[in-house]
Amino acid sequence: MAHTALTQPAPLAVPTRSAWHRLRASRGWAGFWFMLPTALILGLFLAYPLLKGIWLSFTNTRIGREGTFIGLENYAWLWDDDVFWLSVFNTCLYTAVASVVKFAVGLYLALLLNKNMPFKSIVRSIVLIPFVVPTVLSAIAFWWIFDSQFSIISWSLRHLGIIDGNIDFLGEPSMARACVIFANIWRGVPFIAITLLAGLQTVSPSLYEAATLDGASNWQIFSRITLPLLTPIIAVVMTFSVLFTFTDFQLIWAMTRGGPVNATHLMATLSYQRGILSGTLGEGAAIATAMVPFLLAAIGISWFGLQRRAWQSGGTDR
Amino acid sequence: MSAPAPPAHADPRLASVMAARPAGLTDDSEGMAYLERLPRRLVTTYLPLLIILAVLLFPFYWMALTAIKPDEQLIDMEHYNPFWVVEPTFKHINKLLFETQYPRWLWNTMYVSVAATLLSLFASVLAAYACVRVRFNGAGWVGAAIFLAYLVPPSILFIPLATIIQAYGLFDSPIALILAYPTILIPFSTWLLMGYFKTIPYELEECALMDGASRWQILTKIILPLAFPGLISAGIFSLTLCWNEFIYALTFLSSTQNKTVPIAVVSEFVDGDVYKWGSLMAGALLGSLPLVILYSFFVEYYVSALTGAVKE
Amino acid sequence: MPKLDRRSLLAGAAATGLAAGADLLGFARAWAQTAEWKPEPGASLSVLRWKRFIPSEDEAFLRMVDAFTKATGVKVSVTNESFDDIQPKASVAANTGQGPDMVWGLFSFPALFPDKCLPLEDVAESLAKKYGPWFPSAEAYGKVKGKWIAIPVGFNGGYPNYRISAMQKAGFSKFPEDTAGFLELCRALKKNNTPAGFALGHATGDANTWCHWALWSHGGNLVDANEKIVINSPETAKALEYVKSMYETFVPGTVSWNDSSNNKAFLAGDLYLTHNGISIYAAAKKDNPKLAEDMDHAVWPIGPAGKPTEFQLAFPILAFKYSKAPNACKAFIAFMMEASNYGPWIEGAQGYLCEPLSNYPKNPIWTSDPKNAVFAEAGRRSLAAGGQAPVSERIAAVLADFVVVDMFASHCTGREDVKTAIRNAERAAQRIFRNT
Repeated sequence: MAHTALTQPAPLAVPTRSAWHRLRASRGWAGFWFMLPTALILGLFLAYPLLKGIWLSFTNTRIGREGTFIGLENYAWLWDDDVFWLSVFNTCLYTAVASVVKFAVGLYLALLLNKNMPFKSIVRSIVLIPFVVPTVLSAIAFWWIFDSQFSIISWSLRHLGIIDGNIDFLGEPSMARACVIFANIWRGVPFIAITLLAGLQTVSPSLYEAATLDGASNWQIFSRITLPLLTPIIAVVMTFSVLFTFTDFQLIWAMTRGGPVNATHLMATLSYQRGILSGTLGEGAAIATAMVPFLLAAIGISWFGLQRRAWQSGGTDR
Repeated sequence: MSAPAPPAHADPRLASVMAARPAGLTDDSEGMAYLERLPRRLVTTYLPLLIILAVLLFPFYWMALTAIKPDEQLIDMEHYNPFWVVEPTFKHINKLLFETQYPRWLWNTMYVSVAATLLSLFASVLAAYACVRVRFNGAGWVGAAIFLAYLVPPSILFIPLATIIQAYGLFDSPIALILAYPTILIPFSTWLLMGYFKTIPYELEECALMDGASRWQILTKIILPLAFPGLISAGIFSLTLCWNEFIYALTFLSSTQNKTVPIAVVSEFVDGDVYKWGSLMAGALLGSLPLVILYSFFVEYYVSALTGAVKE
Repeated sequence: MPKLDRRSLLAGAAATGLAAGADLLGFARAWAQTAEWKPEPGASLSVLRWKRFIPSEDEAFLRMVDAFTKATGVKVSVTNESFDDIQPKASVAANTGQGPDMVWGLFSFPALFPDKCLPLEDVAESLAKKYGPWFPSAEAYGKVKGKWIAIPVGFNGGYPNYRISAMQKAGFSKFPEDTAGFLELCRALKKNNTPAGFALGHATGDANTWCHWALWSHGGNLVDANEKIVINSPETAKALEYVKSMYETFVPGTVSWNDSSNNKAFLAGDLYLTHNGISIYAAAKKDNPKLAEDMDHAVWPIGPAGKPTEFQLAFPILAFKYSKAPNACKAFIAFMMEASNYGPWIEGAQGYLCEPLSNYPKNPIWTSDPKNAVFAEAGRRSLAAGGQAPVSERIAAVLADFVVVDMFASHCTGREDVKTAIRNAERAAQRIFRNT
């Protein structure tokens, strides 16, 4: 990506007056050496595959066979492929709903956790557990919880006399969507809450005290002090959240494999289904590449958030 | 230096607040907490918290319960209350530990995670230091580029990466994962560490330079010890991500004995069309335990490190 | 899983008595003396196979492997993989030229890379001479463009499983033999609150097989013998309407079912008619004899097409050209298919696997329990994966993409009408069959 800047050789260091000066002269090289491991890893396993993926999407490569360049054909087929558009719709819906709820619940939880209470650190550790446990393992637990015959939720509701038959959690398209979104929220809230909590801790209590003395209401304190001060961290954490939700794979794969009738197929799972299982690597790569514009948009929004942050702090940095 | 490296801003208000306080976690409460009476707190704080905690923890209770439930109770919800278990059995766990390669998978997961974490920490420390302190030409841009790398998700990369891994001859080898995982880890770790390094006063470094210390010496003798909490939390975070990673492991590994826990659990407890729920859940639970234990020790570190990164 | 295998191997040997083990070894030694294929000296083989459904099958398989090793000195290591994953893994091995010597997988996967497969003409002919001929479907899986590139080791029959009492209560003294009666049965079962259920989710085994039966039994086809796409036909529309009426009688949740869901529900007594291999019956015999007593199996009813149109899982084994020990591979394959090995193995599979050749000695597994008998028919009655079309990588993609299953499922759930469902399937087929 950006290692062109690194390779500019610094002017040869001549023995100079001060250590500081010598250092300035050798900066380019020092920087180069320090950046080398990162540049190698990111170059070989991130930048190169990214470009290669884009290239693959223009070929008809299959697993086990080299492909030839076929231009935009893969994209043309995707363009009027209902399943693909369904997966785009699902992905957007999944991302939008899950992110908004995760943010709301996460912020609420962070505010709760920021209060003074006994066993604070234990509570915090507990909150983090869903984030710590490998997604696919908790997804399996959810799959079992949402089973069509042996769901504990159905059982409970049945025994409470609320419903008659079992709820078809993962078999009915909108229900299945709701279930996977719920699982995603469950998994994502802790990270957001803990990160926002970290942000909240940077807010000085004296600000709150001053505001309270001035007679500000709780809501005013929240909207005028807490929220603005949190905005930058919110921007960062939500960018992550949106991005990872958008590109989610394992939760869906473990719970529904894209079913029922593709109602929960995300772009990532469809890409795996077509690219690896059906063996059409080119097409799978095209679906993956189609995610890029969305990701760029997310990055753009985050960028905007950060700019706003710079603007808030009254100017450019440094 | 106009490059918008994300953590490179210093909000004066935050900075002043932070300067007044140590990076460690302090128990601060909202200013007017003392105004709240207990019944009110019960409704506004404890009750919602309890509900959220219950929802967050229920799946684990369910996992644990399933792991020790005899098979016949599992699908007989009429005679047995599903919320409880009579005559718990260790059959599933026993089976998991002694009749499958579970210990091996656990070992694989640890090995891959630790190796990838160390590799990424090494690279991130150097990169973060270079971006923050060496400040070569374009350091800001490089910092931003590394951060952007975090935004490229594995689900875009797995297909081309699979072909590349094959070409490098690393298919079905843990090395493939050890090399691929740092792409996920380095960006975040670098970002976190950059935040930490910035808090270390320049003067320390300048003095050392005057005394003729090399860059490397400064990094290892001065910076790293001071940034130790940052290293720990970057390490823990990386470990979690590795432990959790699914799609690369699914695509790049093939033989049973090379699998990591998440992959093995979903594929190895299924005999064709029979799911062994007990062992599956036991496997999921045991696979999560090491991380849960790790976190219960380090959660405060983690929050404080995030605070450190955030406040930048 | 070497560790596990060793242990289960010992346990298995102890169970069947050591005498059987000794017999097997004796046979193996004698066979090795006269075998057509002499393994390369010092050869060792690695086999990637689908993960067993029934432990005793795996044990019998490993006993055989062990005997082979003892008789020929060729070490064989076996790895297991769930059958969804075999195909991608085999593809990668074919692509990179490194990996297992032999892969034993599902359906048409050898057709993905026919050039990389070791020709097995001689093995196939020798087996056909002894036990043949091959069933047509077996030949379709083993032969690509007229050349044997894989040996179809066996079929796995998937048949209607039903509760006898529920069927009788629904007014049927014997299982219906045509599609109309079959639908009647489902409706009556629903009325008695003893419903049927057939997987419509992405279940590699169950959903793909029964949906293809439904399509073919009404005379519909995705592609014809020349790979022309012919899904858009009145027959397909009839099949869709038929399955939709069946779906209306199902227990809720079938659209999300995977291969395991119906097993669980049937064994729990929530399901009274479904489609499955023998694994439900095997589990019931072990844990729930009463249920086993009350259940039975039947062949798939015959539809308007007028002939059996079953689609059964086929398990071909291939050897890669890159293997350093091609003769050892051939010897191993021929060895497993020898009646003295194959018989006990099939018996160990408890009805899960059945023969691809028509003249093996009668296996006691099919007669010892009359409820097993149906499963012996799978090889004879099955069509190959493409229906009329040759088995190919495209057909493999059709199965992996669940084109036919999704067509039925999207109509059943009411998301798409008949026309749209067919059009989407047609389009998916065009996508897969383009650049032919």
